[in-house]
Amino acid sequence: MGGYTLNFRVLLQYSGLFLQGVVLTIKICVGSMIISFFLGMLLAVMRQSKSRVARFVSTVWVEVLRNTPFLIQLFFFYYGLPQLGIYVDALVVAIIALGINSSAPNCEVIRSGLMAVKTGYYEASAALGFSKFQTFTRVVLPISLRLAFKPLTSNFVNLVLTSSVCYGITLMEIMGVAKTVSARSNRPFEIYLILLVVYCIFTYLVSFVAKAIDRKIQIKL
Amino acid sequence: MAMIEVKSITKSFPVKKYDQAAKKYVKDTLTVLRDFSVNFDQEGVTVLLGPSGTGKSTLLRCINGLETIDKGDIIVDGMSVRDKHQLRKIRETCGMVFQQTVLFPHLDVMDNLTLAPCTLLGMSKKDAVERAKQLLDKVGLLSKEKARHNELSGGEQQRIAIARALMMNPKALLLDEITSALDPEMTSEVLAILENLASEGVCMLAVTHEMAFAQHVASRILFMDKGSLVCDASKDDFFTIYRKENERIASFLKFIGE
Amino acid sequence: MQVFDFAAYARFKWSDMRMILKAMGVTLHVTLLSLAIGTLIGLILGLIRCAKNPIVNKLPLIVMEPLRNSPLIVQLFLVFFGLPSVGIRMKAMQAAVLTLSLNTAAFFAVLVHSSIKSIPEAQWEAGYALGFNKFQIYWKIIARQAIRLLIPQAITLYISQLQCSSLVSFLSLMDLSKAGQQVAQKTMLPFLIFGIVAGLYFVLSFPLARFAKYLEKRIGFTI
Repeated sequence: MGGYTLNFRVLLQYSGLFLQGVVLTIKICVGSMIISFFLGMLLAVMRQSKSRVARFVSTVWVEVLRNTPFLIQLFFFYYGLPQLGIYVDALVVAIIALGINSSAPNCEVIRSGLMAVKTGYYEASAALGFSKFQTFTRVVLPISLRLAFKPLTSNFVNLVLTSSVCYGITLMEIMGVAKTVSARSNRPFEIYLILLVVYCIFTYLVSFVAKAIDRKIQIKL
Repeated sequence: MAMIEVKSITKSFPVKKYDQAAKKYVKDTLTVLRDFSVNFDQEGVTVLLGPSGTGKSTLLRCINGLETIDKGDIIVDGMSVRDKHQLRKIRETCGMVFQQTVLFPHLDVMDNLTLAPCTLLGMSKKDAVERAKQLLDKVGLLSKEKARHNELSGGEQQRIAIARALMMNPKALLLDEITSALDPEMTSEVLAILENLASEGVCMLAVTHEMAFAQHVASRILFMDKGSLVCDASKDDFFTIYRKENERIASFLKFIGE
Repeated sequence: MQVFDFAAYARFKWSDMRMILKAMGVTLHVTLLSLAIGTLIGLILGLIRCAKNPIVNKLPLIVMEPLRNSPLIVQLFLVFFGLPSVGIRMKAMQAAVLTLSLNTAAFFAVLVHSSIKSIPEAQWEAGYALGFNKFQIYWKIIARQAIRLLIPQAITLYISQLQCSSLVSFLSLMDLSKAGQQVAQKTMLPFLIFGIVAGLYFVLSFPLARFAKYLEKRIGFTI
């Protein structure tokens, strides 16, 4: 490699900084996961509802999010909100933007979970005397969330990978830290290599755990 | 007053029909039940017989309020199925079991049984579990209380479904071709359970093609054809007098191999 | 609220719009080039993944897995800022196209592999029984069905890669996103400008998304 020797040891002194970055990344991801899950569920229910308006709103919401880059959505909120007189922390903007962005794929997978629940289950619950709402919360939703579990986790992995874009609004999450440290230490190759590996390990870990949980809770229809 | 009074109901479904002249599909309605009346008391086992598509299942589904009726009315235990607020009570009065086995896949057998009484009747979990155990014992599946639906055979699933319907302590059981999707061996195990229940005095209303069941267990037989009632007789009369005198019944019984 | 200060919208000049449209050309250039290269490499990787030999068919994973399981932005920075220190220098445009191509290839390979694998084994047997050789079966039976499954999914991938191409703006390439940022800063009209930019991305990808859905309905079949 052209006389270049890899030196990872130089980076040890920045480990505190990296830890802070990891903590911030976790904050962003956990917050936006919660938002995207519930928003996705709401959108999926709207998409399946009888109301034309609800279906239309949900469709437009999902299509706009899926057909525009997350970076632009992030800038839109980050630079746009102050124009509306709303001044919020970059962290909050990141959580909201990422949560909204991820609600679209979550809507899709929860929706296909809902569609996989056969009419027989609706009728069986009705025949037992459940109201429509009870049928939905006690039977339909638990079944469809189990069906959607695996794709949901892969959406969440994607969310974590996408969270690195939040560095674009000056957030010192793991990617932001990497950029700063690479300027200070002049060891960009090592830093980005480590980052690549760390993200890979993380993704593998998540999909491993997800598979194990899925095996436990999965149902065959 | 009878427990279930079906008062001249009419039920039709929208269908698409190919119009030869216009060369396109046009909307049409298929009338399944036409001005149909019948009464059921809370006693014995009534079997509904007849060729496919004559509205036997539809009748059961109307009684349970799963289908809305076009004309007429059904009064179950003094409550009208047209009254949305009474529907829950009606469904409590008439438990129903379907052809397709629909145990809730996300719950084990015990939870399948206790879900409805706990949420709807406000039964305590402990009481529900106790009652569930009794019923599981009755259907001979006490050992399967922790099983999931995919670990059970079709016959076992139907027996659990019967127990699940009985959990609500219904006055009558509506059975909609519950053995049609099962092989002969499983069918006989389900029928044995039904026979047992009948001897204990559980009132049942069953759509079935199992002649053995009709002959051994039924007390009353309704024969339906093309949405109307052809014959309403006791079992003995049906298999002796009506079989000889009514051509339609004779050919049906001959066709079914009885 | 500044959004309703309509006089301010006069700050947005025609020259700004020209700049945005020119930048859209850069986005298209980067995207189309890397999609073309990525599809080609992805096809090869995907076919190797379908090989019978258990070692050979795992080889592509060495390249594919890191590309699929790490953020594109890390990959871009590794190539553009990292590689020079080991002596590999390239222009921002080259780094962008290289990274995006490889990234596309990794995802495309998965699609190729899964499409081919979803054709039931029985079809191979039927082909052999008719006396076809392996290549003939591939070409005449498997490929024709697999491609029907592949095309809608590939279009969906292309759309997502178009969105991802916005990240090349971090390499200070004047693409649609970068131009949007600059114009937004200059005019101080973030709502309008990012709205326009998002709209342009939408116009590029929405018809394609619809087309993919249409294809899925028309020629998609489940096996």
